[in-house]
Amino acid sequence: MAGSAGANTAPAEARPAVRGSRRVVPGQDGAIEGGRPTRPARTWQWLRLHRRYAILLAFVIPALAYVIIFFAYPLIYGFTMSVENLGFIAGSGPFVGLHNYKVEINDPVTRTALMNTAIFLVLSIVFQFSIGLAIASYFNRRFFLAKFLRSLIIVPWLFPPIASATIFSIMFAGQGGIIDEMLRSLHVVHSPIFWFDSSLKAMFVVTVVNIWIGIPFNAVLLYSGLQDIPIELREAAALDGAGPWRRFRYVTVPLLRPVALIVIMLGIIYTVKTFDTVILLTNGGPDNGTQLMSTWAYQLAFTNFQTGDGAAVADMLFIFCMIVGVVYIRATRREVAMA
Amino acid sequence: MTTRRSTRFIWQRYARPIVLPIGALAITGVMLLPIYFTAESSLEPTSSFQALSQSLVPSHFVLSNYRVAFDAESGNIITSLLIGLGAVALSIGAALPAAYGLTKLGYLKNRAIVSGAIMVLLVTQMVPGISLSLAFYKLFVHLHLLNSIAGLIIADSTNGMPFATLVLRAFMGSIPVELSDAAYVDGASEWRTFRSVVAPLAVPAIITAGLFVFLFAWGDFLYAYTLTAGGNVTPLTKGLLDFFNNNTVDWGGVLATVVLAAIPSGLILGFGQRYVFGGLRTGALKG
Repeated sequence: MAGSAGANTAPAEARPAVRGSRRVVPGQDGAIEGGRPTRPARTWQWLRLHRRYAILLAFVIPALAYVIIFFAYPLIYGFTMSVENLGFIAGSGPFVGLHNYKVEINDPVTRTALMNTAIFLVLSIVFQFSIGLAIASYFNRRFFLAKFLRSLIIVPWLFPPIASATIFSIMFAGQGGIIDEMLRSLHVVHSPIFWFDSSLKAMFVVTVVNIWIGIPFNAVLLYSGLQDIPIELREAAALDGAGPWRRFRYVTVPLLRPVALIVIMLGIIYTVKTFDTVILLTNGGPDNGTQLMSTWAYQLAFTNFQTGDGAAVADMLFIFCMIVGVVYIRATRREVAMA
Repeated sequence: MTTRRSTRFIWQRYARPIVLPIGALAITGVMLLPIYFTAESSLEPTSSFQALSQSLVPSHFVLSNYRVAFDAESGNIITSLLIGLGAVALSIGAALPAAYGLTKLGYLKNRAIVSGAIMVLLVTQMVPGISLSLAFYKLFVHLHLLNSIAGLIIADSTNGMPFATLVLRAFMGSIPVELSDAAYVDGASEWRTFRSVVAPLAVPAIITAGLFVFLFAWGDFLYAYTLTAGGNVTPLTKGLLDFFNNNTVDWGGVLATVVLAAIPSGLILGFGQRYVFGGLRTGALKG
């Protein structure tokens, strides 16, 4: 009898129970026992709950206002700039539709910048990630000084990028630069190398600096990813006769994949936004040889007084970032859902 | 078999504890060599050619480079400090209540609110600064915020505010909801619960978020470069570039300025290490 009554009411109660699993707050859901609450009581409850929602919403409003005024609005405003024939940035110009985008896609400098950004991106990510993973794996063991040295490695990432760029600019100086001195003392070269006189060499330096800045970030996040892999799994594989390589390939790699994907996505976003280091090291030169999309947008808008075109290039970069962002969010969605 | 076992035993017992730290020292050394040479060279008299000396210890210990750097940059250091502190105040001031409101709304109403807000915040972190800076420039002309500390605080908070909200919300999600519920049942208002229960518990996360917001603003170059064109407000990062470009002889002063610009990073690593690592992880991974 009691059993059948329970079975009858179960479906009706199942829904609130599931919804209530969000958190049943005392004094709200199901507060009145023994039947449905009376109509005035329900209205009272509804009002009280929604008053609470409104108060909580007020907590969010300052941040929401900031995001709308200083993110959403400038982005829309930037888009309107890209569809105007705008010269001086503070001026105004007539609406020209997507003309600026067409002009810039066909501009050889934009194509150079696009190509440079792609090369810079791929090389940076490949080396940042692999060196970062190597460092993370090395430190994923217990030994004397491990904790201390691990925390020191983060330093290049905390540095202002402009300071790092200054250091490397001096190191790569053509005459008397420390890199040059080292190469000469090792008899690799016999005359000074002028690192910034060809696109290839300049691109090399710019990429090296960005890799150096990115390694700590990759190493720290991958290290925490490795720490999350239970050591028992590798021990079990070792007992089953798997060597170090097989343990890495069949235990570590699959389990590290979610973290690795996130690290790579973030690396792409940070790298594609790079601006500081290039401005200091090469200012886009020689002959646009290290011009990236970000520096090119800057130069168009602030130096060449073609703000409409600059905004169009900046928006192309923005669209690329958003595409990567969508992939990133899809990858993190599970972690976000759990948070 | 026995030989293999014994070599392995020797490795595990005697060689490993020595070899591993030495290897780690080498890795760290290579990574930090550029910084070490910079700090070392800034303390010795430098000629115009050999800007970074290869010696490990200064041959003559001098502070003249720092005098040069201070003469050129002391005003810019103060500007950068004000911008950094302002960005911390603005970002944390908006992010802390927002994180509380989001967490509570997620519990009471719908988890989708939280995931949606997190997605928006993640997306804002992916917007390239250059896309924003063009619009900021034009808007700031109208708002008279160009070449102003206030304008740079607003612009720099575009990096800091979403990040701070993510870190703080991740932390508040881990505070047992029973604590704030208990306060609420006892008759405390949401504001009271926030101020007296949740905010004090969140202090470690506030420190983490604040440190990062400060570092973002202190190290920002893009907005400093684009939004101060020709004005008298010069953050240290832009000051460093100007100093570097105009100073082809006295590299010592440039190196000393680099060290000054890096001081907050060093301080934070020295005193706030656990906060840094915690923030790195929650901000990037846990959303």
